[in-house]
Amino acid sequence: MRKLIHIAPLLMFVVLVLALFSFLQRDVDQLNSVLIDKNFPQFSLTKLENEDVVLTKNDISDFPAIVNVWATWCITCRVEHPFLLKLKEKSEVQIYGLNYKDDRQKALSLLAREGNPFKFSIYDKDGLLAIDLGVYGAPETFLINADGIIKARHVGALTPDIWDQKFLIHLQ
Amino acid sequence: MIPEIGHLLLIGALVLTFIGGSLPFYDLVLKKSFSQNYIRSLSILISLLVAVSFTCLIYSFLVDDFSVIYVATNSNTALPSYYKFAAAWGAHEGSLVLWILCLSLWLLGYLFSKDSVNDHFSSITFAVMNQVIFAFILFTLFTSNPFERLLPFSPVQGGDLNPSLQDFAFTIHPPLLYLGYSGLALPFSLAIAAMVTKNIDSLWARTARPWSLLSCTFLTLGIGLGSWWAYYELGWGGWWFWDPVENAAFVPWLISIALFHSLIATEKRGVFKNWSLLLSILSFAASLLGTFLVRSGVLTSVHAFALDPERGLFILWIFSYFIFGALFIYIFNNTKTQVESTYSLRSIEFGFLLNNLLLVVLAISIMFGTIFPLLYEAYTNGKQVSVGPPYFNFLILPFAIGLGLLQGIGLFLGWSDTKDFKFFPRIIIEALTILIVINILLYFLFGSFNTGSLIACFIFAWIVSGNLLDVFIKKRTFNKIKSFLNFRLGAVFAHLGIAFLVLGVGVVSTYSSEKELILSVGDSYDLDSYVFEFEEMTFKQGPNYIADVANLKIKEDGRLIKLSSEKRNYLSTNQVTTEAGIVADLFKDYYVAVGENIQGDTWSFRLQVKPFVRWIWFGALLVAIGTLISSIKHLRKGI
Repeated sequence: MRKLIHIAPLLMFVVLVLALFSFLQRDVDQLNSVLIDKNFPQFSLTKLENEDVVLTKNDISDFPAIVNVWATWCITCRVEHPFLLKLKEKSEVQIYGLNYKDDRQKALSLLAREGNPFKFSIYDKDGLLAIDLGVYGAPETFLINADGIIKARHVGALTPDIWDQKFLIHLQ
Repeated sequence: MIPEIGHLLLIGALVLTFIGGSLPFYDLVLKKSFSQNYIRSLSILISLLVAVSFTCLIYSFLVDDFSVIYVATNSNTALPSYYKFAAAWGAHEGSLVLWILCLSLWLLGYLFSKDSVNDHFSSITFAVMNQVIFAFILFTLFTSNPFERLLPFSPVQGGDLNPSLQDFAFTIHPPLLYLGYSGLALPFSLAIAAMVTKNIDSLWARTARPWSLLSCTFLTLGIGLGSWWAYYELGWGGWWFWDPVENAAFVPWLISIALFHSLIATEKRGVFKNWSLLLSILSFAASLLGTFLVRSGVLTSVHAFALDPERGLFILWIFSYFIFGALFIYIFNNTKTQVESTYSLRSIEFGFLLNNLLLVVLAISIMFGTIFPLLYEAYTNGKQVSVGPPYFNFLILPFAIGLGLLQGIGLFLGWSDTKDFKFFPRIIIEALTILIVINILLYFLFGSFNTGSLIACFIFAWIVSGNLLDVFIKKRTFNKIKSFLNFRLGAVFAHLGIAFLVLGVGVVSTYSSEKELILSVGDSYDLDSYVFEFEEMTFKQGPNYIADVANLKIKEDGRLIKLSSEKRNYLSTNQVTTEAGIVADLFKDYYVAVGENIQGDTWSFRLQVKPFVRWIWFGALLVAIGTLISSIKHLRKGI
């Protein structure tokens, strides 16, 4: 009986730690649930490159594609920028940008300086489309498959590893 | 160059702590005990490396080195220098380095205190502390390196320090809290050393006691400042939200209090040894669990720093290693000898036992209420349940009453039995007298009588008479009072602090008035007997923000008070924060927070009058002072 009392704290911690581990395992997928298996939401916003052009959902028409939420004030976006450029060269996937809460001139000069991986960017100054997408912040990337359905979402910088693990499986 | 030096120094500290963490094993292998000769110089070296590394990080902030990702995300050129300095620990990565620095300073403090003698016990303590520091440096370097560069395309301008953190209280809140959190590693290490060297005795208890007191001091200050910050910065006028991250600090605080009380009994009477060991482990576990909750991003709250399951996983491994390790050692090395000393139900031992039970059950219930929603969500596929303030408020009430009642009589109880219970009727009479006086006072201040705060007022009266008043009445001569205070000064301060805290909480939650409304310039509103008038809206240009400033007048019985509340827009990140306008006197705060602009000159407002709210933080300050006094007293005495 006395022995049991001494082991009890350990057993309680085992339960707690197992529960927390299992929670962490789940948590990874949880962010993804909102728009998965749905169409891209409707929107009507100007083009970053030309403020007279109004874009809608129908302009995102070449699939498969990714929509990348980015901004000049977002430091992590710079980290993933080279990878997006590489992706543009190597992959069939179309890359659309969603320029988020940004300044048009700053955004254009950044693209001119560091290269433009995007087919075009949607200029979302007030974050209207971002709200519909449930964006937490920049960068975020949505994957749209060949049928125009959103299949995956990634919060944070896109890296080769994440591309292989999270996105590529939906493209085959 | 400088960031690289910082990075290298941190790696150097990693290597040294690895060596330090395994020192006793060399002793074991070589069958000589030589490690004790090196622990002091090693720990000086480790502290130095970490301190200089941290200085490198601060330097990178001061010179705006935006090629460092961490600097670029948390600072910009427009940020005032003081906040650049504080930004070094304003976000996840840098705060970890600060955490490591705190740990190494605690170790240094212990090794150079009078308690530490050149023996096996010290070197085991040293080794465990080194393992803790090692684990945290590893965590920092692998998952959250603050020195990481962004090359070759480094930005010319950075992001910004989270605007709501650009505030004086909030720049010193994290260091204090971290000192408290990390300080609990020391009683933990001492407990391991006691078990491994089979020295579970009053000497160990005496060594551990001042350090757990000191951790409690810093936790109290950290939590108190955080609460004060939330009060004036978040614009809700609340001072405690039962936010998961607040709970994550509150739980270790409760357990540290249980710990140093239990250690008194272990030191003086040799009882509760295993319990004190367990509490030492539990307090560090609570501190690590708190870290896990804050750093893993499993919580969404004002404090959520990072959304990174990898970090959570890493901390969970650290947690498992230390706590399982400690509990395994505990299973085999706890004291098996039955204690012969007996104590009656009227003894101070039994008082401590009750105090500990209440504190630990309360702590575990709060922890449960914090984690349960997470687990529920995980096991029901995303269904959410919220365990909110009503649960916690309901929960804490009986515990607060129980602990309050104990505090009033605690100082009069004797070891093993209390012979004289004459103090009891005296305290009751004194407490009732104070209670009546307070309520008359409250009636004159607020013009109404409120039964809701009666319990809080009674607890206050009870603790004050038990800790101070009765002593003064009973021990009439100055010398007797002096010797009592000499002996109990820390405890008296801390207990009175709790009394003020309870009174503040009780009064503010029953006598407050609050109104959310829309006002145009020139409008006024009558909140109870206070007239709030919206005078004008002005514009203000800050160093890195612009602000709309609402100026108000408050009229109360011919007194005229002016205050202003700001709606700030921080330019580089477009974040909007509210600076509440607060005017305080001894008995109440006037609190105005400006909300949204409805149209033109019309804005939404939150007006509040919060009586006695300052007394909560005054109480917390007294608790911190009290624990500090006790801790210093014991440290100076040595063993």
